[in-house]
Amino acid sequence: MKPFHELLETSAVAHGHLCPGQVVGVRMAMLGCRLIGLDEPTRRDQIKKLIVYVEMDRCTADAVAHVTGVKLGRRSLKFVDYGIMAATFLNLATGKAFRVVSTEEARDLAAVYAPEVSGKSQQQLTAYCRMPDSVLFRVQQVRVPIKPVDLPGPTQRKVTCLRCGQVVRDGREVVCDGGYVCRPCAEGAYFSNAREITWAEMSWAPSGVPELSTPPDHGQHFEKSGKRRAAVIALR
Amino acid sequence: MLKKINVQDAVGTQLAHDVTEIRPGEFKGAAFRKGHTVCNEDICHLQKLGKNHLYVIDLAEDEIHENEAAAILAGALAGAGVAWENNPKEGKIRMTAAVAGLLQVNTAALAAFNMVEEVMCATLHTHTLVAKGKLVGATRAIPLVMKRVPIERAAAIARQNGGVLSVRALRKAKAGIVVTGSEVFNGLIQDRFAPILTEKVTALGSEVAGVAFAPDDTDLIRQAIISHLENGCDLILLSGGMSVDPDDVTRLAIRQAGATEMHYGASALPGAMFLSARIGDVPLLGVPACGLYHRTTALDLVLPRILAGERIGKKELAFFGHGGLCQDCRECVFPNCAFGKGA
Repeated sequence: MKPFHELLETSAVAHGHLCPGQVVGVRMAMLGCRLIGLDEPTRRDQIKKLIVYVEMDRCTADAVAHVTGVKLGRRSLKFVDYGIMAATFLNLATGKAFRVVSTEEARDLAAVYAPEVSGKSQQQLTAYCRMPDSVLFRVQQVRVPIKPVDLPGPTQRKVTCLRCGQVVRDGREVVCDGGYVCRPCAEGAYFSNAREITWAEMSWAPSGVPELSTPPDHGQHFEKSGKRRAAVIALR
Repeated sequence: MLKKINVQDAVGTQLAHDVTEIRPGEFKGAAFRKGHTVCNEDICHLQKLGKNHLYVIDLAEDEIHENEAAAILAGALAGAGVAWENNPKEGKIRMTAAVAGLLQVNTAALAAFNMVEEVMCATLHTHTLVAKGKLVGATRAIPLVMKRVPIERAAAIARQNGGVLSVRALRKAKAGIVVTGSEVFNGLIQDRFAPILTEKVTALGSEVAGVAFAPDDTDLIRQAIISHLENGCDLILLSGGMSVDPDDVTRLAIRQAGATEMHYGASALPGAMFLSARIGDVPLLGVPACGLYHRTTALDLVLPRILAGERIGKKELAFFGHGGLCQDCRECVFPNCAFGKGA
């Protein structure tokens, strides 16, 4: 893994600013990866072993994702909306998982660890760089029973909502009146009063397909996931 | 796990902890020690102490008794120059100075340690001069039985950078004193600075190798500094000429003597015009005239720390501010007061 200061710098660039949350996130990810035995989480052979659950959508979440290389779209990053400054690091190959929780004490201790720094945010930033992991975090060994439909890899299941006709992927449907229904139809959605519209220039499309170089791990979308399934079964 | 039993049923069982007795103004201590086997004669004494029930301990694998916890904590807290005995009294372990010197407390680690639930450590102020054997801190786990993990976490915090408490022996410096001021040099008044500074230096176990007198002349003060350095002095104290008058040229002389580092102004009263400088590895301390009048000044805060091997720069001088106001008590009890202890 790259040194802390390098990761912090690139994380701040990726996130858009340097803040105390970036320091906590970078260190949280470094510790989490170390605990599950991944020293280069962004390397191709390791990233496929890693799932990270972040429990907050704050600056820290971006830093954790940056350091570990996990991504929502690759299903290696899971967002669990607890509002807790914590992340769980799961090694799919071993089944080992550790939940790293940022301590509230660290906030109170910032003034003691960086007494010469004025300004709350700057003081926290400096202090969080100085504190040992034992002050900044608490760690729990946990068991994470991950379902096959939550794993990275090709979509394993698609059903059509009986009420609206929308295709629902990865087992997110609910059973209602003996049939499959999407969650918005079954439980209500975060939006309301949905009404389909037309819009200006709705016939726009890019003019041709640009010539793009293939990213190094592009092929994974087309891989058969037989091995991955075997690993899942072993875990359960 | 703790099981409660009636004190009458306790005969033959071993006490799970020290039982404290307090007789106001007369005695406070353990009436019974942990492990004591309760006998018939003890029942009445225990009841007089308000103990109608006692605990019997049955520790789970992840639990720890307060005495074992206290030993883990003390072992982690005590750094170099700090001694402790694995003989907890009422759950507490005392830590003492194994050598005479300057107590140093990692205040950040101490605060972090005390933020862990169910443990505590109290210390003297950091930078307190202590004699060998002096009590410098004490620790305990608060409940009688607790989980092992928080204790180990607290110990990990305490162990960082070699423990929370340490006592550093003062080095024996060979000090050179430069008394500046034309009024003294020309014999208009008698010097009183050299004896005061000599007493402070020797009280800390160092020696004064020589006293030089110089008028308010930059070059002559510079020469006096160089002369002390050539004589092997590894600490130089300069008095006078630290103020804002045109005749106050000591600072300029220190610079011309080759100061590689210079910090003027301390956030302590008395001693605001104190100066801390270095020529190579040799510290130079500029003592303002307040040192003639006040028994305790910024010099008394800085000198022990210099002799303990600290570098006193801008930050250290600035951090004196909180607690840096001497109350000028009729009877001075320094260092047993708050002066200079806020940092």
